[in-house]
Amino acid sequence: MSFLQEVELSKTFPPFASLEKVFGFVPNLFRAQTLLPRAIDAEAGIAGAVLFEEGALPRIRKETILLVVAAANRNAYCLTAHLQALRALGVPDRQINQIVVDYRHADLSQPDMALLDFAVRLARNAPWLSEEDIGALRGHGFNDEAILEAILTTALSGFLCTLSAGLGPSPDFEPPAPMPGVTTPAPPGARPYVGGIAGPYLHAVELSPASFPPFAFFLERFGSIPNLFRAQTLRPAAIEAEASAFRNVLMPDDFLSHVQKERILLVVSAANLNTYCVAAHCEMLRAMGVPAEESDQIAVDHHQADLSEANKALLDFALRLTRHPSEFGREDIDRLRNCGFSETHILEAVVVTALNNFINTLQMGLGTTPDVEARRVFGPEDVHLPPTVERHTEGTRDDPDAALVARAQNGDLDAFEELVTCHSRRVYRTLIGIVGNIEEAQDAMQDTFVKAFQHIGNFEGRSRFSTWLVTIASNAGLQRLRERRHIESLDDSAPETDEEFRPRQVRAWTGDPEELCSQAERRGLVESAMMKLPPKYRVVLILRDIEQLSGAEAAAALGLGIPAMKARLLRARLMLREALAPHFISNTRRIGL
Amino acid sequence: MITCDEFMADLGNYLEGDVAGEVRQQLEDHLSHCQTCQVVYDSTLKTVKIVTDSGSFDLPELTARPIREKIMARIRDVLDS
Repeated sequence: MSFLQEVELSKTFPPFASLEKVFGFVPNLFRAQTLLPRAIDAEAGIAGAVLFEEGALPRIRKETILLVVAAANRNAYCLTAHLQALRALGVPDRQINQIVVDYRHADLSQPDMALLDFAVRLARNAPWLSEEDIGALRGHGFNDEAILEAILTTALSGFLCTLSAGLGPSPDFEPPAPMPGVTTPAPPGARPYVGGIAGPYLHAVELSPASFPPFAFFLERFGSIPNLFRAQTLRPAAIEAEASAFRNVLMPDDFLSHVQKERILLVVSAANLNTYCVAAHCEMLRAMGVPAEESDQIAVDHHQADLSEANKALLDFALRLTRHPSEFGREDIDRLRNCGFSETHILEAVVVTALNNFINTLQMGLGTTPDVEARRVFGPEDVHLPPTVERHTEGTRDDPDAALVARAQNGDLDAFEELVTCHSRRVYRTLIGIVGNIEEAQDAMQDTFVKAFQHIGNFEGRSRFSTWLVTIASNAGLQRLRERRHIESLDDSAPETDEEFRPRQVRAWTGDPEELCSQAERRGLVESAMMKLPPKYRVVLILRDIEQLSGAEAAAALGLGIPAMKARLLRARLMLREALAPHFISNTRRIGL
Repeated sequence: MITCDEFMADLGNYLEGDVAGEVRQQLEDHLSHCQTCQVVYDSTLKTVKIVTDSGSFDLPELTARPIREKIMARIRDVLDS
């Protein structure tokens, strides 16, 4: 099931056969494109060359990049797929969840974190990427082959995320529980605007069109070999797959015309602030007879260009899919249908947009200089973009802190102080639940709020602010436990047998235990009983029964799956029940403290 | 008729109100016949309520205020540096 019509293709259709071989099934993302088999062919080729071809980065690192970029893009289809892939590669669920929530605190090595920082920056803030970022990776021991592969993988992620946002396939696996506080890249802030043409950053080797057919193809098609492809010669298989995608997606004009496709590539490249690709597509359009001024107008604001309403709608469609993929849906597809576009036209528009996002990301990662003189260097202020629609998710619609958070994000310290006041007790309780010691909990509480302040710009309202804070607190507490080398007590995933917590106290309790003793006495009992529990049980009780987080929120804060969290919670409740029972069984007249 | 072990296996979901239909009916049938499980269920429910209402690990305002001041001082340091 997806937004568009699907037809039955034979299992022996070669790309399906190769997908079946790699995944054991044909992912819904590809089934959604059966109207255009040549597109599936092109995509399977690129995915194969980037992901499955043995290269300088192991598959597990590439899948981690795909997972983190899908999370940063809020793309549930891709997130689920890569989560499953990592599971199949043997990564434990707990670590996968933590990578999604915050890869910087997922016990990854420094090089792994640097690789993910780079990928997220390239995926989300490409025009601000610079030689410095490449240098940082080299500093972590990555050679140019590995960096090229990281760039290709990030670009592939953009390709797959755009495709799935545009086609709306059902996930191939059960989607994960909602996870709060997904890592988001820091805003570009004061970093200089580089515009993606300050390179080339990577070392390349000479390949001759005489012996390397893809170069012969580009030479014939463009009259020269574009710098973008010359910069990838450390990975010839990728260049081959890209040439094949040109042949299969951009060159045919049986549905969308060449000019229509070039306009999409131009408009979306301009929206992505990709000076290199804008120059290239203006040049292509010029070769097709479109005057340079007209191309410029399309790049800057196609609504003011001399185009039919249907063609403007086509460009609106591609722009929305690129800029607001998480809001994209059936209505966008219907708008094109109403303009007279067929299912296959619409499918092709999605594929062309997705391929463009692949190429744009790739180019920004490589930093190649334009092949023809750029008529202008695109900066953030040059392009008229559709206005951003404020997006609220379940969690935030009724977040009582939303207004204070917004002020704090704009640098209002008083607003942040008010948030500290409102939430200090909650944060403290979470921490004492983990570290089990008052003084340390108070220290960790300071760390938690300082960290929250430093990262508040990244808080996007995917969860309530309070849940986000508890997640930070929980990580800070776990970090302290780790430093005390007590991590095994929280990490212990050894199966606990039923006998261990089979109830021993089975005498009935009094009707209303709260009548038996004062609240202060009950609090004393609960606190001392809870302090005797191992930390992993104490913390789950605090999050669920004292903080009253939902099951999904508590699971995410602890980096556990929901079933594991539930099992732990029941055990914790039963253990506490044993400890409290002597005080509340019905024939006890008065509790003996 | 389900066994006590089967009841215990579903107790967590039952306490959360996460079981429905036939499973729920089986659990309730078991409860109506088994005194031990009835006690465990009732006292666990009461445990949750006691924990939730106990106000445990609350931070007194007198302790909280100086900590908040330290937090804000550290944040100003971060901004200044």
